[in-house]
This record gives sequence, structure tokens and C-alpha cells, in this order.
Amino acid sequence: MFFHIVLERNMQLHPRFFGRNLRENLVSKLMKDVEGTCSGRHGFVVAITGIESVGKGLIRDGTAFVTFPVKYQCVVFRPFKGEILEAVVTLVNKMGFFAEAGPVQIFVSKHLIPDDMEFQAGDMPNYTTSDGSVKIQKECEVRLKIIGTRVDATEIFCVGTIKDDFLGVINDPAAAA
Amino acid sequence: MDNKGPVQKTVVLEPFIKLVRLVARAFYDDYTTKSDNQQKTARSDNRGIAVVVLDELTRKQWVREEDLAKELKLHAKQLRKIIRHFEEQNLIMRDHRKETAKGAKMYSVAVAATTGGRAEDKVKFHTHSYCCLNYPQIYDIVRYKLHRMKKKLKDELEDKNTVQEYGCPNCQRKYNALDALRLISMEDDAFHCENCNSELVVECNKLTSEEVADGDDNARRRRREKLRDMLQKLEVQIKPLMDQINRVKDLPVPDFGSLIAWEARAAIAARENGELNPNDPLRSQGGYGSTPMPFLGETKVEVNLGEGKEDVTAKGGDSSLKVLPPWMIKQGMNLTEEQRGEMRQEAKVEDVGSSKLSDDKKSAMESGDAKDMLKDEYFKAYYAALIQQQQELAQKQRQEESGGEVVAPDMELASTSSERQVGMKSKREEEEDEWEEEPPVAVAGNGNYKVDLNVEAAEASGGEEEEEEDIDWEEG
Repeated sequence: MFFHIVLERNMQLHPRFFGRNLRENLVSKLMKDVEGTCSGRHGFVVAITGIESVGKGLIRDGTAFVTFPVKYQCVVFRPFKGEILEAVVTLVNKMGFFAEAGPVQIFVSKHLIPDDMEFQAGDMPNYTTSDGSVKIQKECEVRLKIIGTRVDATEIFCVGTIKDDFLGVINDPAAAA
Repeated sequence: MDNKGPVQKTVVLEPFIKLVRLVARAFYDDYTTKSDNQQKTARSDNRGIAVVVLDELTRKQWVREEDLAKELKLHAKQLRKIIRHFEEQNLIMRDHRKETAKGAKMYSVAVAATTGGRAEDKVKFHTHSYCCLNYPQIYDIVRYKLHRMKKKLKDELEDKNTVQEYGCPNCQRKYNALDALRLISMEDDAFHCENCNSELVVECNKLTSEEVADGDDNARRRRREKLRDMLQKLEVQIKPLMDQINRVKDLPVPDFGSLIAWEARAAIAARENGELNPNDPLRSQGGYGSTPMPFLGETKVEVNLGEGKEDVTAKGGDSSLKVLPPWMIKQGMNLTEEQRGEMRQEAKVEDVGSSKLSDDKKSAMESGDAKDMLKDEYFKAYYAALIQQQQELAQKQRQEESGGEVVAPDMELASTSSERQVGMKSKREEEEDEWEEEPPVAVAGNGNYKVDLNVEAAEASGGEEEEEEDIDWEEG
């Protein structure tokens, strides 16, 4: 799920950036530092959309770096248990398959794949129904439901299922091609 | 045996007893005190003993475990083990206490009152344990148990919301699907143990564990069939239990309370029934029920006195004020004082605006507040006084008002007796203790009076009443 929230961060800025463009430098450094990171609490920071306020800088003793408390608005993405996501399959093996929904990795184990789908080893490992009409392989898109999340300080990993109504392959570029 | 003691008159015990018996037979009929590694011989096979204990407990309320053991011809240790098990299962509540002569007496009286039986009289005075079925909890626990059983089976049947587990055959380390990212190896498809790098196998801690989970289609289908079968069987087997639970659902649950409370209640009930028990401990030592009675009687007299006088001064007092719950008292008191303060101010404003005479009266009254002895002098002085001065004093008066609120009870008394003389008050002060113990009435009186006062103040704008009131105030 996506959220638009306000976060705060203390930015350390090198004295060489002090000048006319201090603020721009601060913001660009903030974007570089923050975007794409993951915090266990808020999820993945997708993009910074605006700066709320930049506080008074504080010169650090000894280093001459200056710390600015910066409040910024950003879009974060945090997966939740029970959430339905669309993801791209990245890896298929006999234990199940891995998929990615943006920055988050999801594993669907074999017993959470419908029973009528069988693992086919080979050049392009895949799961296929007995009549061959549905095939899950690398690069194809699936809709899945998250049934468990592991949230670490810097990482979020999910376990999903496609064993439910309206879940499964939604678009297969290989088949379309 | 009579299960319904005199304590539970409205609560029907039978459905709950039936529930407990069903539960005992459903879940505890193969309970054994022996641990599994001990060899079971036919002689030491004591399965079903738990059922017997539970059944016996349904016939009792609180029971001393020693007595229970004796009745069941069980060894005390064995019984304690079973009881502990049930305690862990939250079916029964226990109480341990250092036995005294008084406690033992209380208990035997309670037993006599509730079951008509007779407790063992000669008890050794050391720590004894008591136990009792905890009916309210049993109801919840059983429902929860059934819910969990069904959910486990259903989840397994549908493979729903289950995070797959993996185990290492070498080092027995366990993983689950959430670790998958770390376990996947580059060389082949399988998951590998972080410790020993051996290939992980899918764990199957399921009910149908004899089959390998990652077996072929056939095995899986068989497993599902088995699960479905189990679920169906479960439904059938617990049906009587479910029926009983549904029957019990809307009934009031019998609750014996803690051991102490139960004993007290039983003793009181016994007395009410006219069973004059010579060794009733309440009688001899003034136990739980006896003390409040004289207290109540006294206060009742007080109440009548107060109300009678109120009726003289205040007509048609708002009766709703009288039923203030005890925890509202403080608030209520403050409120009335505040309101009175406000009204006084209004009256004052009126005074200033309307007539000089009332102004003077007002000021005189305030002087009375400040110094009672010099009242007359102040009267004269304030005849000539300016409005400004008066306002100064008014402020002072207000401060005193706020200070006076702290000494609430005394002040209450003072303000209640508007038409009474100062001399009257001394008598009332003697009764102050009782007043404090029965505050709702006092508050009500105060409230009644206050309403009346305000009306008068508004009408007469500082009449005689107010003056007297102020005198009283000063004393408060």
C-alpha cells in the first residue's frame, strides 16, 4: 500500500556546498540518500514529493559538517498481510517462484500454487496447468495475495499465494509474443 | 444431590454441568497422569480419571482438595496433578491459604449451606488448597478450543494462510518461506541450509504427517481426502458439545467468585434461610455482612432529619439530585458552589445598577464576611463607601469563596441551615461525621437549597437571606 507521509531526517552537509545553492544541494543530497531505501517502520521510500521545512543548521565540532533537520514529504510503499499485489515473476524453481512488486520481493511456495499446476523443469522452468493453458514462468505477471511479511530494519520480504479466486497469471509477455 | 445452593437462586446450573461433563468426555477421557515414557500396564492405566474428577467437581462448588481426594479415593498427589492440569487448561480456579480455625469454620459453614453436606471438621492447620470449576471461563475456553481445532483443520485443508516450513535433514534447523531469499542458492533450484549447505526438505508438521508433503499428485489428493474426512468426523463428534454451548449461550453463567467471597455469601445465605448455625462465624465475630447494618441505621435517621428541614426551607426540591452516585459527590459539590458564586455575582451587578440601598446592604454583608465582630461598624462605614471600594471588597470576597470551597463539608452545613441560627450549627457539627459518611444526601440538600437561594437572590436582590447566608459563610 502506498502512503504519502512526512518524514524527518538530519542531513549532514559538507561546507563546500555552502553558498547560493545550499538548499538545492541539500534537497538533491536528501533524494540521493533517501529514495529507494527501506525502513521497517514506513516501508520503501519511493519518492520525495516536497520539502516541508529545513531547520537551523548546526555545525559539528571537529568536522565542520553542518547538520540540518529536514522535514520532507514522501511516498512510501509498505506491503501488508492480506494485500493483493501485482508482481513480475523473477525466478521459478521447484520450491515455488519469486516475484517482484516494485522494490518488494515475494516468494510463493509450491503448496500455495494451485494444485493443478505442475512444475516443469528445463531451460525455462515453469509451472503449467495440465492442459497447458496457463503457464507461470520468468517475466510473466501474476496477481497474488500476501499472506506473510517479514519486516526487518532495512528489508521487507513477503510470502504470497496465488491459490485463491482471481489470483494467478494476468499477462504473459512470452505467450503474447 | 442438590446442585443449586442457596447462593444461586436465578442461575441454573444444570446446563453448565452438562457442558462440563461433555467437555470432560470429549477432551480429557484419555488423559493420564503417567508420562509417555513410562510403561503402561493394565493396572496403572488410569485413563478416565480426569473425567471422574471433573464430574465430582460439578457436584461441588468450592472444595478442599484433600476432601476431594478422600471422596474419590485418590491419592492426594495424583489428584493434585490432575487438578494442576485443569488449572493450566483454565477450567478450574484454585485458592491456597494458610488454614486457620476461623477459615476452616467458614469453609465448613459454606459447605453446609451450599450442599447440605458436611465438611471434615478436624483439619490440620497448615496450607490447604481449594478448587472450584470456573464456569464463566469454561464456557469461553471450550469455545476457543473448538474454534482452534476447526480452524487448524480447515486451514490445512485449504492450504490457506500457511507459511511453508522447511527443515534441514542434517542439522535439524528450521526455516520458513520468509527466509526463502536467503536460502536460495545459485547452483541449483533448491534451498540450502545456511549452516551445513545441505538441501532443505519441505517440513510437514501436519496432522497427516505420515505422507510426504511434496509427494505426487496422488499423495496430495489422498491427504486432502483424509483431512476432509477428519473435519467431517470432528463436526459430528463435537456436535453434542456445540449444541450444549448454544443452549448455554444466553443463560446467566454461574459464578461462585473467589473462595472468600463464596464463603461469605454462603454464610449469609445460610443465615437468611433461618438456618441458625451455632458455629456461624459471622455471628460471633462480626464478619462480612454484619458491620454495615448499624451504620446504615444511623445514617437513615440522619437522612430523615436533613430532609425534613429541607422541606421547610426549600419547596419541591429536585428529587433527581438526591440519587447522585457516590463517585459524583465531589464534583457535584464543586459544581453547586461554583454556580452559587456565579449567581451571586449576577446579583451584585444588579445591585450596583439598581439602587443605592441595596448597594449598601451588599457591602455590609461583605463586611460581615471579613470580620464578624465588627459587623455593625462596617455597616456604618460602608453606608458612605464608594462603589470602587465595594468592588475591591467584592474581589476579596470572591477569593474567600474560592478558599472556602476547600472546607466543603463544613460549609455545606452552614449553607444548608439558612433559616437556622448560628447556635443551631454547633449541634449539627456534632453530627458532622455522619454527614460525611452519607454525602449524597448532604449534596442533595445543598443543591436544593442552592436553587432556592438563587431564586430569592434574583427576586429580592440581596435580601435578608443573603445576609444570613454570608454570616454562615464566614464561619465555614
